[in-house]
Amino acid sequence: MAIWAQYHLLALFLLTWASAVPTNANMEGDALYALRRAVEDPEHVLQSWDPTLVDPCTWFHVTCDSDNRVTRLDLGNAKLSGNLVPELGKLERLQYLELYMNNLVGPIPVQLGGLKNLVSLDLFHNNLTGSIPPSLSKLSNLRFLRLNSNRLSGTIPRELTKLGSLKILDVSNNDLCGTIPTTGSFSKFSEESFMNNPRLEGPELMGFVRYDTRGGCK
Amino acid sequence: MGSIKMCHMMLFFAVLSAVLAVTFGDNSTDSYWLLRIKSELVDPVGVLANWSSRTNICSWNGLVCSDDQLHIIGLSLSGSGLSGSISPEFSHLTSLQTLDLSLNAFAGSIPHELGLLQNLRELLLYSNYLSGKIPTEICLLKKLQVLRIGDNMLAGEITPSIGNLKELRVLGLAYCQLNGSIPAEIGNLKNLKFLDLQKNSLSSVIPEEIQGCVELQNFAASNNKLEGEIPASMGNLKSLQILNLANNSLSGSIPIELGGLSNLKYLNLLGNRLSGMIPSELNQLDQLQKLDLSSNNLSGTINFLNTQLKSLEVLALSDNLLTGSIPSNFCTSSSSLRQIFLAQNKLSGTFPLELLNCSSIQQLDLSDNRFEGVLPPELEKLENLTDLLLNNNSFSGKLPPEIGNMSSLETLYLFDNMITGNIPVELGKLQKLSSIYLYDNQLSGSIPRELTNCSSLSEIDFFGNHFMGSIPATIGKLSNLVFLQLRQNDLSGPIPPSLGYCKKLHTLTLADNKLSGSLPPTFRFLSDLRLFSLYNNSFEGPLPESLFLLKKLGIINFSHNRFSGSILPLLGSDFLTLLDLTNNSFSGPIPSRLAMSKNLTRLRLAHNLLTGNISSEFGQLKELKFLDLSFNNFTGEVAPELSNCKKLEHVLLNNNQFIGMIPSWLGGLQKLGELDLSFNFFHGTVPAALGNCSRLLKLSLNDNSLSGEIPPEMGNLTSLNVLDLQRNNLSGQIPSTFQQCKKLYELRLSENMLTGSIPSELGTLTELQVILDLSRNLFSGEIPSSLGNLMKLESLNISFNQLQGEVPSSLGKLTSLHLLDLSNNHLRGQLPSTFSEFPLSSFMRNDKLCGPPLESCSEYAGQEKRRLSNTAVAGIIVAIVFTSTLICLVLLYIMVRIWCTWRKVMILSSDSGGTEHNIEEEKWDYGDEKKRKGEYWKVNTMALVPSQEKQNLSSPTCIFQLKMDSETMETTMV
Repeated sequence: MAIWAQYHLLALFLLTWASAVPTNANMEGDALYALRRAVEDPEHVLQSWDPTLVDPCTWFHVTCDSDNRVTRLDLGNAKLSGNLVPELGKLERLQYLELYMNNLVGPIPVQLGGLKNLVSLDLFHNNLTGSIPPSLSKLSNLRFLRLNSNRLSGTIPRELTKLGSLKILDVSNNDLCGTIPTTGSFSKFSEESFMNNPRLEGPELMGFVRYDTRGGCK
Repeated sequence: MGSIKMCHMMLFFAVLSAVLAVTFGDNSTDSYWLLRIKSELVDPVGVLANWSSRTNICSWNGLVCSDDQLHIIGLSLSGSGLSGSISPEFSHLTSLQTLDLSLNAFAGSIPHELGLLQNLRELLLYSNYLSGKIPTEICLLKKLQVLRIGDNMLAGEITPSIGNLKELRVLGLAYCQLNGSIPAEIGNLKNLKFLDLQKNSLSSVIPEEIQGCVELQNFAASNNKLEGEIPASMGNLKSLQILNLANNSLSGSIPIELGGLSNLKYLNLLGNRLSGMIPSELNQLDQLQKLDLSSNNLSGTINFLNTQLKSLEVLALSDNLLTGSIPSNFCTSSSSLRQIFLAQNKLSGTFPLELLNCSSIQQLDLSDNRFEGVLPPELEKLENLTDLLLNNNSFSGKLPPEIGNMSSLETLYLFDNMITGNIPVELGKLQKLSSIYLYDNQLSGSIPRELTNCSSLSEIDFFGNHFMGSIPATIGKLSNLVFLQLRQNDLSGPIPPSLGYCKKLHTLTLADNKLSGSLPPTFRFLSDLRLFSLYNNSFEGPLPESLFLLKKLGIINFSHNRFSGSILPLLGSDFLTLLDLTNNSFSGPIPSRLAMSKNLTRLRLAHNLLTGNISSEFGQLKELKFLDLSFNNFTGEVAPELSNCKKLEHVLLNNNQFIGMIPSWLGGLQKLGELDLSFNFFHGTVPAALGNCSRLLKLSLNDNSLSGEIPPEMGNLTSLNVLDLQRNNLSGQIPSTFQQCKKLYELRLSENMLTGSIPSELGTLTELQVILDLSRNLFSGEIPSSLGNLMKLESLNISFNQLQGEVPSSLGKLTSLHLLDLSNNHLRGQLPSTFSEFPLSSFMRNDKLCGPPLESCSEYAGQEKRRLSNTAVAGIIVAIVFTSTLICLVLLYIMVRIWCTWRKVMILSSDSGGTEHNIEEEKWDYGDEKKRKGEYWKVNTMALVPSQEKQNLSSPTCIFQLKMDSETMETTMV
C-alpha cells in the first residue's frame, strides 16, 4: 500500500517538474530516431518511425502517456542489429525498455542511468559488450534488470545494491568477473542470477576474508 | 582486243591519279570523303549546307586548308548540333592536324581508324554521347598534343600505351565511366600540362610515376575511387597550380612534400579519409588561393596558416577532427580571405577574436564546434560579412547590439547555443538580412517590432526560446517572408491581422505557445501557405470561412486548441497530406470535400464534437495510413468503402457511437498495426477475418456488446502485443490457438462470460508482462500450473471466477508479479510461500486458502486435532465461538454504517476511507479509458471494506455475510 502512496508522490513530483521545464519539441522522437539510424532493421519494424511527426507517439512499438511522453519501447525479438545509442537516456518518462533477443552490439550507454522512471531494462540475449555501467544505480524505480546472455565483462558495480526496488536481476551468461555483492537489494538474489560467468568468484564474504571486488579481473 | 587495251589504259590512269592524290595531296579526294561523311550525318542546323562539290572545299564551313590550298589540315565542327556516328572515313583525311567534333550529339564508339591520322595534333571529341572503349590505336598518333574526349559515356580502362603520346600536353578524360587504375606510363608524358580525370570510376592508387609529368600544371582526379596515400613524389611537380583529388578514398596523412609546390593556387582534398595533422609545410604555399581539406579525419590543431599564406581567399577545413583554438596569427589586415569554413570540428575556446582582423571575410562558418563564451561586440568589424554561421556551439551571454552594424549581413545562424537576453532592437537596421535562425537558445523578452524593418527577411526561426508578449503587429511589413517559425515560446495574445499580408509565406508554425483569439480573416491572402501549424495554443472560435481559399495547404496541425464550428474552411486544398485537429471543439460532420485530397496520409480528428457517420467518400483516400476519429459523437455503421484504404496502419474509432457488426473487411487491411473500436455499440461476433491482419500489434474491442465465441483465428495474430476484449458478452472457451500469439504482453479478457478452464497453453505466452486479466468470467477448473512460466508477468487477475483446487506452487515463482488477485473463487489449500507479500485482499473470499498472508495452515489443522483431545479445549472453543460471534455482530453493525456512508461517498464521487484499496482497484484498470462521455465508470467497489476485515476473517459466517453484502452493493452499482 505504501508503495502506491510513493508512486503518487512521484507522479505528482513529475507533473510539477515537467511543467516547469519545457521539453524540446520532438526531443524524444529525435532520440528514438537516433536508435533507428544506428541499427539494421531487416524486418522493417521501425518503418513507421517518421521523424517529421510532432511526437513519436504514433510510431509502432512506442507507447506514450497522456502527455505524449514515451513510456514504453517494445522491440524485443525484432531482429535488430547494431549499437544502442546514448540518446535513449533522454526518454525521461520511459518505464519499459524492451530490447531483448536482438543482435545488439557494443556497450550499454552510460546515459541509460538518466532514465529516472525506468521500471524494466530488458537487454537480455544480445551481443552487448563492455561493463555494466554503474550509472544504472540511479534508476531508483528499476524493478527488472535483465542483462543475461550477452558478452558483458568487468565487475558487477557495487552501486547496484542501492536499487531498492529491484525485484529481478539476471546477469547470467556473461563474462563478468570479480565477486558478487551481497548487500542491499542483492541480498535476495539467488545464485541463478549470476550463473555462467566463468570468471565470477562467488559472493563476497563481508568482514570475513580480504575484501576484494576485483578478484578474477585483470 | 582494242577495247581491252583501252580498259587497261583507263585503269592505269585511275590508279595513278589515286596514288598521286595520296602522295601529293589532292583536295578533290578530300571533298569526296567529306561529302560521304556529310551524307551520314544528321545536320539539323545546316552547318554543312555549303559542303558541296560546286564550291571550293576551302570555303566549306569548319574546314581549314593548308596554305597551298592542297590539304585539309583542320576540321572544326564544335557545337554544331550534329548527330550520328563518327565515320571511320575520317581516316581518309590524312592531312588533318586538328579534328574537333566536341559539343555535339555524336553517339556510337570512337572508330579505331582514327589511328591512321598520323598528322593529327589535336583530337577533340568531348561532350558527346560516345560510348565503348577508347581505341588503343589513338595511341599511335605520335604527334598528338591535345586529346580531349571526356564528358562521354566511354568505359573500360585507360590503356597503358597512352604513355606513347610523348607530345601530349592536354589529356582530358573527365566525366566518363572509365575504370581500372591510372596507368603508371602516364609518367612518360613529359610535356603534359593538363590532366583531367575527374568523375570516373578510377580505382587503385595514384602511381608514383606521376612525378615524371614535370610540366604538369593542372591535375584533377576528383570524384573517383582512388585509394592509398597521396604519393609524396607529387611534391616534384613544381609547375603544379591546380591539384584536385576531392571525393576519393585517399588515406594516410597529407605528404609534407606538397609544401614544395610553390606555384600551387588551388588545393582540394575534400572528402577523403586523410588523417593526421595538417602539415605546417603547407604554409609555404604563398600562391595558394583556395584550400579545401573538408570532410577528412584530420586532427590536431590548426597550426598552419599564418601570415605566409598571403594569397589565400578560401579556407575550408570543415568536418574533420580538429581541436584547439584558432591561432593568434591567423589573420592580418592585408588578408584577402573571403571564406572561412571550420564547421563540424572540435574547435574550442571563446569566439576567435583573431578572425576580426580579416575584414575581408564574407562568409564565416564556425558551426558545430565547441566554442563558448560571449559573442564579442567587435563582430561589427567584419563589415563585409554576408553569412555568419555560429550554430551548434555553446555560445552564451547576450546578443551584442553591434551586430546591427554589420550592414552586409544576409544570413545569421545562431541556433543551438545558450544565448540569453533580448533580441537587440538594432537588428532592425540589417536591411539585407534574409535568414535569421535563433532557435534552441534561451532568448527572452518580446520579439522587437524593429525586426519588422528588416525588409529582406525571408526566413525567421525562433523556435525553442522564451519569447513572451505578442507577435509584433507590424509583422505584415515583411513582404518577403517565406518561413516563420515561432514554435515553443511563451508568446501570448492574438495573431496580428497584418500577418496575412506576408503573402509569400510558405511555412507558418506558431505551435506550442499561449496564443489566443481567433484566426484573422486576412489569412485568406496566404495563398502560398503549405505548412500551417498552430497546435498547443488557446485559439478559439470558428475558423474564417475564407481560409477555404488556401489552395496549396499540405500540412495542417491545429491540435490542442479550442477551435469550434465546421472544419470545412480547412479543406479548400486538394493537396492535404496531414490534417490533425485533435482535441478541439469542432462540430458537425466531416465534409465530403475532404476526399479531394487524394494524398491524405494522416487524418486525426480525435477529441472533438464531430457527428454524422463515416461517409462513403472516405474510400477515395487511398493513401490514408492513419485514421483517428476517436472520442467524437460519430454514429452509424462504418462505411464499407473504407475497405479501399488498403494502406491503413492505424484505425482508431474508439469512444464513439458506432453501431452494427465489426466489419470483416478489416481483415483485408494487411498493413493494419493498431485497431481500436472500443467503447462503441458494436455487436455480433468478433470476425474471424481479423486473424488475417498479421501485422496487428494492438487490438482493442473492449466495451462493446460483442457476443459469441472468440474465433480461433485470433491465434494467427502472431505479432500482437496487446489484446483487449474486456467488458463484452463473449462466451465459450479461450481458444487454445492463443498460444501462437507469442508476443502478447498485455491480455485483457475480463468481464465476459467465458467458460471452461483456463487453457494451460496461456503459460507459453512468456512475454506477458503488463497484465493477464481473466477476472469476472465463468472460468472453472483448476489454475493451470503452467502460469508459473510467465516470468515477466507483473499483474495477474483471475478473481471472480469459479476456479477450484489449490493454487499451484509454480505460481510462487512469478517473481515479477506486483499485483495479484485470486479473490472470489473456490480455491483452497496452502498458498505458495512467496505470496506472503501480497495483501489479504488478493485472496479474499475463497473456500479454504491458508498460509501467509492468511492464517497459517498448521494452525488450521491444529485446531481440528485439538477438538478431538480433551474437554478443556472445548471451553476455549466455546469462548472463541462466543467472541467471534460478538465481533461478528460488531462488524455487521460497522458494515451497515459503512455501507450507508459509502453510498453517500459514491454520490459525491469522492472517497474518504479505504483509499489504499481504491488505488489498487484503479491500478487494475490502468491503461483503460475509464471516462466514457463524461461518466466515470466505477468497476468494482467491493474492496472498499474498512481495514478491520483482517481480524474478522476467522468466522465463516462473517465471510458469508460480507460476501452477500458486497454482492448487493455491486448490483446497485452496475
